[in-house]
Amino acid sequence: MKTVLLAPLDPVHDNAIKLLKRKLTDAGYRAVALPPGSTEEEVVAQALEEHPIAILVSRTLGYKVAETLGHLVDLAEAAGLRPQTRLGVGGMAITRELGAELGFDGCFVGSLDMAELLGFLEGHAIAGPAEMAQTAPRSRPDVTAGFTYAWRDATIAGMLDQITDQILAWTAGKTSPAIARAELRAEMLTDPDPDLRERYIALCDAEIQAFYRQGTLPLGVRRLEESELAALPGATAGTRPPFESLRHGRQKPLFFVQYGTGCPIMDITHIRLAEDWGVDGVLHFDPSWGAQREGLLEGLLTHEHDGTIVTLDNLRLIRQYMNPATLWNVRGHRGLNTPETQVLAQAAGADLLKINIPYGSTGGGTDPARLTVDGVHSLRLAARYGLPFDIPGNDELSGVPPQKTFAGLLIMVMLGLKLGARPIPKPLLCYSPYMTIEGLMDADFVDMNFAKLRVWQEIVDAPVWPGEPVGFMTHSPERVQSAITTAAHAALASSAGVAAVTIASSDEAYSKGPISAPARVDSLRATRELLRFFGPADIQPTPRAEELQAQLHAGITATLNAIARRGDFVAAIYEGLLGSQEDGLYPGRTGRGSVMTAAN
Amino acid sequence: MTKALAHVVDALDIETFLYCKDEDEAKILAEALAAELGLPHGDVVFVEHRGAGARVRIRSYIHHPGDHYRWLGMEDGK
Repeated sequence: MKTVLLAPLDPVHDNAIKLLKRKLTDAGYRAVALPPGSTEEEVVAQALEEHPIAILVSRTLGYKVAETLGHLVDLAEAAGLRPQTRLGVGGMAITRELGAELGFDGCFVGSLDMAELLGFLEGHAIAGPAEMAQTAPRSRPDVTAGFTYAWRDATIAGMLDQITDQILAWTAGKTSPAIARAELRAEMLTDPDPDLRERYIALCDAEIQAFYRQGTLPLGVRRLEESELAALPGATAGTRPPFESLRHGRQKPLFFVQYGTGCPIMDITHIRLAEDWGVDGVLHFDPSWGAQREGLLEGLLTHEHDGTIVTLDNLRLIRQYMNPATLWNVRGHRGLNTPETQVLAQAAGADLLKINIPYGSTGGGTDPARLTVDGVHSLRLAARYGLPFDIPGNDELSGVPPQKTFAGLLIMVMLGLKLGARPIPKPLLCYSPYMTIEGLMDADFVDMNFAKLRVWQEIVDAPVWPGEPVGFMTHSPERVQSAITTAAHAALASSAGVAAVTIASSDEAYSKGPISAPARVDSLRATRELLRFFGPADIQPTPRAEELQAQLHAGITATLNAIARRGDFVAAIYEGLLGSQEDGLYPGRTGRGSVMTAAN
Repeated sequence: MTKALAHVVDALDIETFLYCKDEDEAKILAEALAAELGLPHGDVVFVEHRGAGARVRIRSYIHHPGDHYRWLGMEDGK
């Protein structure tokens, strides 16, 4: 058995030594620990008796640290220990620079990393952070893995079957300019034929046509310059740390953040800092005007407004600088370019798509008939590409009760499954207008949110991914409050066993400027801390959560029943069955009257 | 060595506690503080007054998305 000598060269602090002794013993070493306050001479004398493979020194106090440690190295050298015994040092007072300067063989900073320490004891090279990141490649996880999509509520499944059959029958033989452009764009990816481009341009709005024909950029948009792109290869100063998950030992959930600063270079910077602070995936948000124009732009484009312009070049640039293990979702669920966005996202290497017909065709969104046609085509693309698609339930923010929003999500789940895609419903954990008005979350934010997650388990075995982001409308501009409420919702979702969570920044409630880099760190740091606090312990809701869950389940059933009886999904949206004007919702108008009959 | 301000990725926030009588005074002081510190377009992100004073956060964007970032291409902080 190999011996390791543990020496707290510190008058009082030896917690690290005790921890190391236990962990090294567990790892099969004979760990001999000296008491706190041991002198350098006593350490060397003990080493000459024990013949350890290493002396690990811990030092917390900064006072005379260099003098004390330097003396130990000198004594070990003079005693002839160094050929057989490696010297390692760690503790609060130690930096890598100091350890190397004093002549230690290994220096350990930050929290205890046993893999790194064991590598040192066994004589392997100690990997620096960048090397460790490279030597421990992560694979990109699949959010849908392990879910069967088996229906547990036969009544709901039956109604969904009826509703989605009607949707597929209604969309048969229909097309739109967006579908035609998506098909052209797919061809243009591999075929430079100018005729394809001309046909594409002919299907665009005048502003987009002006871009292609006269080179006119929309107001506030500029092209990224060569000098900016040339400066990108480093992308961040310094080396990147090894990935540290936010999960603290749990297998789930995966953590996502949204980006869309308006600028691909700023996005790259924000994505990389989010990766460095532990996120598993990111979601691309485009500008709202991009959803309201027929046609997409091309090239490397930046602008000074929210949302980063969807072009193939922008998407590819962003993906290029992302960690290969980072999951990537490109939003395209609500606008006039939904099918083409799926084409470009897949071409740029996206892992997930985002499609929700009911949500996208209400409020300031797209006409329900148009988005139903485009949405079904987009689901077919998702199936063809083998990419899961998520279904955001953010219509709750307009005042829609969750039972109606969830009914819409369920329709999308069934529709996606029928078309061969893998759906991921995203119930929103929020303090919505409906909850505020009805007083349903006055007592706490736990019971209703648990009810909203658990009701899914009663209906279908699908991955549930609360978003987008969690805690919507609980945030204030006060950053401590904002970070804590995000972390609390993330911890609740984690406790409920969800597949993934989208978390906000602490700028969530700040509306006078773009989300800042430090605000991202705030929430990620708070989430990490709260998940560390709870560990494997779960949050327990009160019995009221079961009552709320039952009410929610009954409401979903009633909503779907009304839509099934209506027998016309598009008409049901127009008539407010998935959210009425009284709820705060109205049908989208963009693209109205643009559904066409397919040529064959 | 470049100016440290060039390294600010986007926003510069200043948090402090101002001795003042109410929230209105806190806002006026916070805006004045941003001006005294030479922060361009200082904005009061948050203010909460209680008793003797107010906790405030002031923000100034050093780089907006879409700008030419002075930090771009700086390796190892140089």
